[in-house]
Amino acid sequence: MKESQVVNELFEKWIEDAKTKLNEDNFFLKINEYLESTHPEICGKCAPCRDGVPRLEALLKEYKEGNATLKTLKEIEDIVNNLRSSRCSVGLDIGKNMEVVLENNYHLLYNPVKKY
Amino acid sequence: MAKITINGNTIKVKKGTSILNAAKSIGIDIPTLCYIAEMNEVGFCRICVVEVEGEQDLVSACNTEITNKMVVYTDSEKVKEARRASLRLLAQKHRFDCWNCPKDGMCEFYDILKEHDIVFEEFGPGKGRYDDFIDGTAINQDQTKCILCKRCVAVCNDVVAARVLKFRDDDGLNPIVSPTPELSFDETGCIGCGQCVKACPTGTLFVKDHVTDVEDMLLDPVPVVAQMSEEAAMIIAEELQQFSENVNVREAYSTIKQMGFSDVLDVNTAKDMVVLEDVSALKHRLENGRDLSLISSHCPAAVRFTELYHDNHLNELSTTKTAHMAQAKLIKDVLDHKAKVVSILSCSAAKMEMTREELEGHVDAVLTVNEVMKMIKHRYLDKERHEVDIDNGKLQAALSVASQYQGSILQVENVLQKLSLDIDNKPLEPLNYTVIAGDESKASKGVIKEAKVKIGDHKLKVAVVRGGAQIKAFYKMLEVSNKTYDYVDMMACPEGCTNGGGTPFEHDITTHEVIKKRIEMLCQHTDMAQYDPSVSTRVLYEKHLDHPSSDDVMTLLHTSFSPKESTKE
Repeated sequence: MKESQVVNELFEKWIEDAKTKLNEDNFFLKINEYLESTHPEICGKCAPCRDGVPRLEALLKEYKEGNATLKTLKEIEDIVNNLRSSRCSVGLDIGKNMEVVLENNYHLLYNPVKKY
Repeated sequence: MAKITINGNTIKVKKGTSILNAAKSIGIDIPTLCYIAEMNEVGFCRICVVEVEGEQDLVSACNTEITNKMVVYTDSEKVKEARRASLRLLAQKHRFDCWNCPKDGMCEFYDILKEHDIVFEEFGPGKGRYDDFIDGTAINQDQTKCILCKRCVAVCNDVVAARVLKFRDDDGLNPIVSPTPELSFDETGCIGCGQCVKACPTGTLFVKDHVTDVEDMLLDPVPVVAQMSEEAAMIIAEELQQFSENVNVREAYSTIKQMGFSDVLDVNTAKDMVVLEDVSALKHRLENGRDLSLISSHCPAAVRFTELYHDNHLNELSTTKTAHMAQAKLIKDVLDHKAKVVSILSCSAAKMEMTREELEGHVDAVLTVNEVMKMIKHRYLDKERHEVDIDNGKLQAALSVASQYQGSILQVENVLQKLSLDIDNKPLEPLNYTVIAGDESKASKGVIKEAKVKIGDHKLKVAVVRGGAQIKAFYKMLEVSNKTYDYVDMMACPEGCTNGGGTPFEHDITTHEVIKKRIEMLCQHTDMAQYDPSVSTRVLYEKHLDHPSSDDVMTLLHTSFSPKESTKE
């Protein structure tokens, strides 16, 4: 089974039962794999999807490298929300899936960037 | 009719209207970036997105038709956030060197970023989307600034019909707008009309810059003669006076003179010479059979379009040079052998024209209106200063005895006027045009119109063709119907030189309000009852030249055309 299919199944699970969580290492890996798997589908016509997906990958990389800040998280949220204004279902689906990812994994995304 | 509620206002609009137009009808502006009415309603940029009640996702206003009882919000927080996010993404892949950008303060992208208060981290002269620079003698492309709106592609296809620029999306994540990869604009069949430059919302596409060359020329002791077309003078005056009630064209001449040119001439006399040459070609046609049409060659872009895409019609083109080329040759060969000549036009195709083998050495540089405005800024010339002495000595004595009565802005009317004066001894009756393709009220896509006129015993049929797509349609019509026209006034830009590639950028290129006003201003000086092209050229023909179509005139004022090839992918 391809990694992206694993992720897709995970989304389905998440949608049904919000309790399924990933650990931190696995999370960024899986999400990156998912985003990469969408590359061949992206047609390049509209901005949110064409430029949003690579930008999301770059922002998630910042997490992996430990450089993420609250701004990074804010930008991720903006881009994910903006994917819902895409032109076709490719971008809209990525947006919907990533919304689920965000909802279920704030503990992973928020903890590294919160400042006390 | 359908009922629709926009931001709480309920209105009735025609079915099939887009949300954008429905909102516009009640004075609500929805920002757009990639949109050109009826040409590029593709929804690529997602700036025009709006919220529709009952829809999960945001929809683009430019290409979504309204439905009955639709409830639309054009400025909800969700919409604003989405616009900002899209703009941020586009800005992150745009190289910002605004102080050095050919768009020079007229950048639509900059304006929209400003309107939406976009803040993003990579601000500064970043790398941009791609770092390729595509060269050309008229049009250049700097891909670091492309935001992939596809406006230029739409214009190149629908208005110009040259199909040089393409949206290449084989790699969906990294699409690119370019001519055939690895080749310059000239090699890929560009006609240099510059309509893509006018459509570009950023400084990605721009007209090749001759400002540095001209500024270097002005430093030399060799005299540099500027010759300016009527349209260019009008537009420069417009820019200087910001559309005051009565634009004073003389101010354009005096401002150019202040820049250090030795003489500032108009090209009206040369235009009249071209008319005389075309009239003798037309007379020849009337006497020796009318199997072929006679097509004007006063637009370099239309000539190149014919050479590239319709070379079977090359023998129908009039061999007369364009007015500024003819005048430059005349100045250099007959009047002042040392002088350098710079043409100031509203045209970008003339930059390509000056590199033609047949016209080598005619003009030394071509400045567009935009470049002149840039030079005025470089020199900190006071835009308020009026009237300096523009007495041009012997050149003016020879060339600018222009009669005070000017002809029509349509070449065809001037040619027929002279023919009528010669045959019937009376001025031309006003022509009644019938539009056979395109729409004159929306001239942004060009127009074909024809008229019939009786001069002497001859029943003449003439046509006016504007816009590359219409030129293509016109040639096809000639081929299919086997019709011929006695004179065809052909130009590659919709609305001709008043809308040339070198004119200032308009944000809304389809309304043509500015251009309509410009044409009105130019027509103020037209007096067809008095106009006679022989008046202004009399001194020239008496002192320096033989008669129209004589041998010396043929070498000075006529050129030749040959089929050209292009590589397209």
